[in-house]
Amino acid sequence: MMTQLKIWGIAFKNALASRMAYRIDLFISAFIMLAFELIIPLVTLLIYSSGASFPGWKFHEVFLIQAVFLLSKGITFPFFAGIVWNTITQIREGTYDLLLIKPRNILFMTMLTGIDIEDLGKLLGGIAMFVYAVSLVPDPGALNWLVFVLLFVCSLMVFASFAFIMAASGFKWVGNFRVYEIFEALTHFSMYPMSIFSKGVQILITACIPLALMGFFPASLILGKSLQGLLVSLISSGFFLVFSVFFWYRMLKNYTSAGG
Amino acid sequence: MKNMFQYLLNQFRIIKAVAFVTFKEWAAYRSHMLVSLLVGPVQFVVQVFIWRAVFAHRIVLNGFTLEQMITYFAVVTVINYLVMDFADWNLHMLIHTGRFVTYIVRPLSHRFFAFSQKVGHRALGFLWEFVPVYCLFFFVFHITLIPANVGWAVCSIFLGFLMAFFINYSIGILGFWLVRGEGVRRMIQIFSMLFRGVFIPLVFFPLFIQKILFFLPFQFATYVPIRVFIGSYELAGMRFGPAQIVGIQAAAVVIMYIVSGLLWRLGVKRFAGVGV
Repeated sequence: MMTQLKIWGIAFKNALASRMAYRIDLFISAFIMLAFELIIPLVTLLIYSSGASFPGWKFHEVFLIQAVFLLSKGITFPFFAGIVWNTITQIREGTYDLLLIKPRNILFMTMLTGIDIEDLGKLLGGIAMFVYAVSLVPDPGALNWLVFVLLFVCSLMVFASFAFIMAASGFKWVGNFRVYEIFEALTHFSMYPMSIFSKGVQILITACIPLALMGFFPASLILGKSLQGLLVSLISSGFFLVFSVFFWYRMLKNYTSAGG
Repeated sequence: MKNMFQYLLNQFRIIKAVAFVTFKEWAAYRSHMLVSLLVGPVQFVVQVFIWRAVFAHRIVLNGFTLEQMITYFAVVTVINYLVMDFADWNLHMLIHTGRFVTYIVRPLSHRFFAFSQKVGHRALGFLWEFVPVYCLFFFVFHITLIPANVGWAVCSIFLGFLMAFFINYSIGILGFWLVRGEGVRRMIQIFSMLFRGVFIPLVFFPLFIQKILFFLPFQFATYVPIRVFIGSYELAGMRFGPAQIVGIQAAAVVIMYIVSGLLWRLGVKRFAGVGV
C-alpha cells in the first residue's frame, strides 16, 4: 500500500511538473473546468432570481446539492477519472501496450498516468461552494457529519464507477470521447432535488444507477430532509462499483492494439 | 454578370467537393454521432422535469408558459445539431501543430475551406442527429416542432449556421497569438454557449446583462433562431417581429464576416510554422 502511495505521489508530481510548463494555460484551464461546472448553479440562481423555485426547496438547499456534487467530482476527476481520457487516447494511438508491460496492476497504472492537474479547479470550486452552502444551513450535528462522510465516500464510488465504465467502453468503441457527454447528461439528474422527478425516474436514479447518491442524498442528510430510497441507493452503489471494475477487466480483453 | 455567375458556380463546386469529402470522412464515425440520440433527449427530459417543477405554481415566467419553455428546449436540442461548429478547435489544432502551413500554399482561403467542411459535417449531422432526434421528439415525446413561420425560421437557422461559424473561426484565429491557447478557447466557448441561450433563455439574465448580450454576436447563433422558430423574439425589453430580428441577424452576420476577415489578416502574419 505504501509503495503504491509513493508511486501515486511521484505520478502526481510528474503530472504537475509537466502541466506547469505552460502555467498560464494551466490556470486558465483549471478556471475553465470550474466555470463549466458553475453553469448549472448559475442557471439555478437565474431561476430563483426570477422569483420561481423548486417546490419545497430554497435556493441554498439546491445549491448545497450542487456543491456536494462538485466537491465529489472535484476529488474524482483529478485523481481517478483521468482514466477515461487516458485510456481512450492511448488505445487510439496504440500506446496502451506500454502500460500493459509495466510491472504493476494495469488498472492502477492507467489511473496513475491519467492524473489530471487542471481538474483541480473543480476541487477548489467544490470546496468553496460546499463551505459557503454549509454556512447557510443549521449544523446537522456530529453524528450526521459522520454519516455524511460515509455517503460522500459512496458518492465517490459512484463517480469512480462511471469513470471505469466510460474508460472500458474505449476498448471497444475506439476514440469516442463523447462518452463524457453521456456522463454529463446522465449526471444532470444528480444535481436537482429528487422530488422534481417522476416516481419512475426516482427509482431509476436510486436503485438502478445510483445517481441520487452523487449529490442529492449527502446534501439531504445535512439539510435534514427525507432520505427515502437511501438504503437501496447504497446497496446499488456497491453493486455498481463491483460491476464497473468487472466490466473494465472484461473489456480489457478486447484490446487489440489497433492503433499501433 | 457572366463572370459573376461563373465565380459563384466555381465556389459552389468547391463547397460541394470539400463537403462531400468531409461527409465521407466523418461518416466513418457514425456511431460517435449516434451518441446524440441519447445525450440530447436525456438533457431535454431533465429540462422538462425542471421546468414542470418551476411552473408548478405559476402560469407565466419571464414571458414563457410551460409549453413554450418545453418547446424552447426541444428547439435548442435540434437547432444545435444544425448550427454546431468546431472551426475554432480545428484551426487551433492546425496552427499549434504547424499543419496549417499546408493551407497557406493552397489557392483557396482557409476560411472558405473550413466553411465547406462545416457544410459537409452538418449535412451528416442533419441525417444522423437532427432527423432521428426530431422523430424521437415527434413519436416518443409527442412534440411537433413546426416553426411559427417556416420561411423566416429557415432563414434564421441558416444565418445562425453562418454566425456560429464566424464566431468559432474568430476564436480559432486567436491561436496565432497564443502558443497554447486551449484554455482561452474553451473559456470563450463556455461563455459563448451560455450567451447563446443554450442553457437558459437569455431573458432570465438581469436586464443590464441582456442589454449587453443584445450587442454581442452570440445570441444570433442560437437564441435568435430559436425565438424565430417559436415565433416571438424578446431580449432586454425589446420585442421584434421575425422580419425585423432576422434583418438584424443578417446585419450581425455581415459584421462578423468582416471582423473574422480582419482578425485573419492580422493573425496570419504571426504564423511561423513552429510545429513543422
